[in-house]
Amino acid sequence: MQRFLDPTVLAGISSLDLIAKTVVDGFVSGLHRSPDFGFSQEFAEYRAYVQGDDLRHVDWNLFARTERCYLKRYEGETNSQLVVLLDASNSMQYGSRKPVKADYARYLAASLFYLAIRNQHDAAGVIVFDDEVREYVKPSTRQGQLTRLLAALEQAEPRSRTDFLKPLEHFQALLHRRGIVIVISDFYEDPETIVRALEALRFRGNDVVLFHVLDPQELRPELKGPAILVDLESQQKIEVVPEYVASRYREKLQTHIEQLRTRTQAAGLEYQLLPTDQPLDTVLREYLSLRQAER
Amino acid sequence: MGFLAPWFLAGLAALGIPIFVHLLRRHIVVPQPVSSLMFFERGIQSSTRHKRLRYLLLFTLRFLLLLLVVLAFADPFIRRFANDTRSHLLLIVVDRSFSMRSGTRFSDAKQQALSLLASKPRSQRAQILALGGRVEVLTQPSPDSNLLRTTLEGIEAGDGQGNFGDLGRTIRTLNDATPGPVDLHLFSDMQKTGMPGNFADAVLPPQVNLTLHDVAKASTLSNWTVESISAPAELLDPKDTTKSHVQAVLAGANTPEAIKKVSLVIDGKILSSREVKVPANGRATVEFAPLDIKYGFNRCEVRIEGDDALPADNGSVFVVRRSDPQRVLFVHRSADERSALYFGTALNAASHGAFVLQSVAVEQVTDLDPNKFAFTVLSDATALPSIFEHTLEQYLSKGGSVFMALGLDAGRRTHLPLWGGDLKRVRNFASSEESAAVSQVDFTYPGLEQTQPGRDNGGWAGTKFLYAVMVDPSNARVAARLSDGTPLLLEKPIGEGHLLVFASGLENLTNDLPLHPVFVSFVDKTSQYLSGSEQLSGMRMVDSFVQLRNAAEASKSEAATSEVIDPDGRRPLSLKDSQKVQTFRFSRSGFYQIHFANGRSAVIGVNPDRRESNLEPMSQEIRALWTGSNAGAAEVEKAPVAGTKYQYVSLWWYVMLLAFVVAVMETVFSTRYLGTQREEI
Repeated sequence: MQRFLDPTVLAGISSLDLIAKTVVDGFVSGLHRSPDFGFSQEFAEYRAYVQGDDLRHVDWNLFARTERCYLKRYEGETNSQLVVLLDASNSMQYGSRKPVKADYARYLAASLFYLAIRNQHDAAGVIVFDDEVREYVKPSTRQGQLTRLLAALEQAEPRSRTDFLKPLEHFQALLHRRGIVIVISDFYEDPETIVRALEALRFRGNDVVLFHVLDPQELRPELKGPAILVDLESQQKIEVVPEYVASRYREKLQTHIEQLRTRTQAAGLEYQLLPTDQPLDTVLREYLSLRQAER
Repeated sequence: MGFLAPWFLAGLAALGIPIFVHLLRRHIVVPQPVSSLMFFERGIQSSTRHKRLRYLLLFTLRFLLLLLVVLAFADPFIRRFANDTRSHLLLIVVDRSFSMRSGTRFSDAKQQALSLLASKPRSQRAQILALGGRVEVLTQPSPDSNLLRTTLEGIEAGDGQGNFGDLGRTIRTLNDATPGPVDLHLFSDMQKTGMPGNFADAVLPPQVNLTLHDVAKASTLSNWTVESISAPAELLDPKDTTKSHVQAVLAGANTPEAIKKVSLVIDGKILSSREVKVPANGRATVEFAPLDIKYGFNRCEVRIEGDDALPADNGSVFVVRRSDPQRVLFVHRSADERSALYFGTALNAASHGAFVLQSVAVEQVTDLDPNKFAFTVLSDATALPSIFEHTLEQYLSKGGSVFMALGLDAGRRTHLPLWGGDLKRVRNFASSEESAAVSQVDFTYPGLEQTQPGRDNGGWAGTKFLYAVMVDPSNARVAARLSDGTPLLLEKPIGEGHLLVFASGLENLTNDLPLHPVFVSFVDKTSQYLSGSEQLSGMRMVDSFVQLRNAAEASKSEAATSEVIDPDGRRPLSLKDSQKVQTFRFSRSGFYQIHFANGRSAVIGVNPDRRESNLEPMSQEIRALWTGSNAGAAEVEKAPVAGTKYQYVSLWWYVMLLAFVVAVMETVFSTRYLGTQREEI
């Protein structure tokens, strides 16, 4: 089943639903051997009763033996809310191989939704944005929520350019309940601007994760000779020499990634770099880890 | 510089192709998309300019390639002065013919040739040839001056006849083998007699520039010589004045009338002297008789006393052999008495007693040894006793000679002894109305030799043949044929000997040949040829050949040894050559001792060609014609080389070589360029 976590294999599947099911089923079957994760309704711990606790959770058998009130706590007892902020700007349509960044991001989002709704019974929603909010599906656990989310992903074709500050106010208005916020983007923006835009969500009690999606060719670009490059968002063209790409470009990109990682961690955000040739289980693992930490 | 095929320059229109491809056609650059230019900076070197530079380099190479190919087809040439002789082959020909012995001609020729050799540029190649008798190529083309000088100094004067026709043929052959400009320098006395009768034989190739170096100091020199000698090669009786005499013809060239003293010298002793008056530029005859000579070989010389321009030709040598009459074995059918009569009469009339015929019936020959006879005649004796037939086979293989006439008895036989083949059929013309005549006669054959045969086919036209036997002529020389094509006289070499077959009888029943005068001549010459006495003595000319053995014997591994001792007492044949060589060339004048492979010995006097005695040089007109003989041909040839101030050197090879280099460079550049472009797209 691990084979179905490979992005190259997933690129051959047309249906997002099937992609998400393939990824999650493959991921979950691998979890049975893992000691770190488990399903909900499993016993977790005993906690001393405090006033106001629901008496339904008191372990009366223990009270009979010890004459003390203890509450029995279970894993996954509390449902989370997952909101995915999906960057659908033009820069996401770049890809030196299949899948391109936009598709990879959609696979990510679909797999997260499938895992959250079908396996964890969490509420899930999505906000598709570029320089404004293009699509919003309110988090919910209602019947047919997964279908709506996947339909929103299908329609999230890349266009326009990215702007984090502009749709920020909309994010805050839309996300009034705390939960897990996953931002999927290539983050071609100043790290300071990105952190400033997203740390407001953190202040509202959300666990914010940044999935930085980049094509391998963007991480390690190679040019055989001087070439003319055109920006997919601004359509600006410049002439570039291979020597620059092999040295200065990589330095600047690594600096950008390091700043992004440092600034997000400083702001209490999670950061994960995801080349599009990397399997999707990393993302799912990150989600479950956050969900457990949140509880 | 010019072009030998200028119409190919029209191909220069093809130069428009790279111009269109590289300069006129708009180049489309496909930009590469990237997510963001956030981390990119404009390159210092313009990629477009870089590509354009590569384009221009590629364009230049392609333009140059087309240009060079077109130029190569147009065949460019450069013109340079023809006196740049470094590329010319210097051909030095030294005349070593007999006439060069006159005065200091030969030493002068060698000296002048050495001077020319010393003045040649060090890098120029030269080759040395010697003319005289035959043209000898002494060296290959070489720039090595030491080798050339040593070779030149080693040339000695010879006794051969210089023929400029032979020189022309040799130069044409050499020039065909290694074409190129040649500077030919001929050091000679320019004898008029050296020029061939057909001037075309002496014409040189167009690329050969002939320079004549005349070493004859005086234009006309007086010279007397013994032009010819008439003497018997074999003598039976010295007192027989009909044969025992020597007649010599003296000739003068550019000479005044003079009285010359002529001596006959035999074995180094002056036997007799005469004074004879030789007219101006004329001839005189002197005769010595009788010849008082001893038995065996007598080395004779007729010598003109006194000095002249060419003392070497004042004597003429010859050999007279004195011997007893030789017996001839005549084997005939017992019923045939006529053939012996006719043959014996003719032999006696011709040879004046040199041969004695011993007639024997075929039934009585069993115990006879043919080695005791000069040769053997089998007259219609095809039914030989087997012992005698075997003896004759041995006799033939060791050098004996047999003359076999096929009469009426042969027609009844199917097997022909000694010949090695069956009798095919009999041609009997008596039954038809017309008899056969002799239609074809090979007058070069020794038995039929005639220098100037008349209209009657040398006397053979009047003979009538009523009967002849068809003999298989394979591996045989047919010397005469009848009018219906039947071979009449055939000779086949067997071992070292000769078997001569006359396809008719020697009597007057099968033909009327014995009744004609030509029969005596035929018997005389055939007898001399078969007995071998003809070549055992007498005189020959320098550069003539003598046959040491038969061709069939020369190819055998264990052939009999022959030996030659030249006038200096040396043996010119090596041990291997003495067993293999078929013929020997007389290269010098004087007395040669020869031991033939068939066991016979001979002493032969050899004299230079008397045309060498006429020292008159060729006229200036002929010289001018010869030295300019290649000018007309040069105009016909497209590339003028000799006779003009310039020569033309074609450059197409170098241009094609350069085009190849450019093509390789273009391939390398275009491959790199196109490969990069594919990846970028």
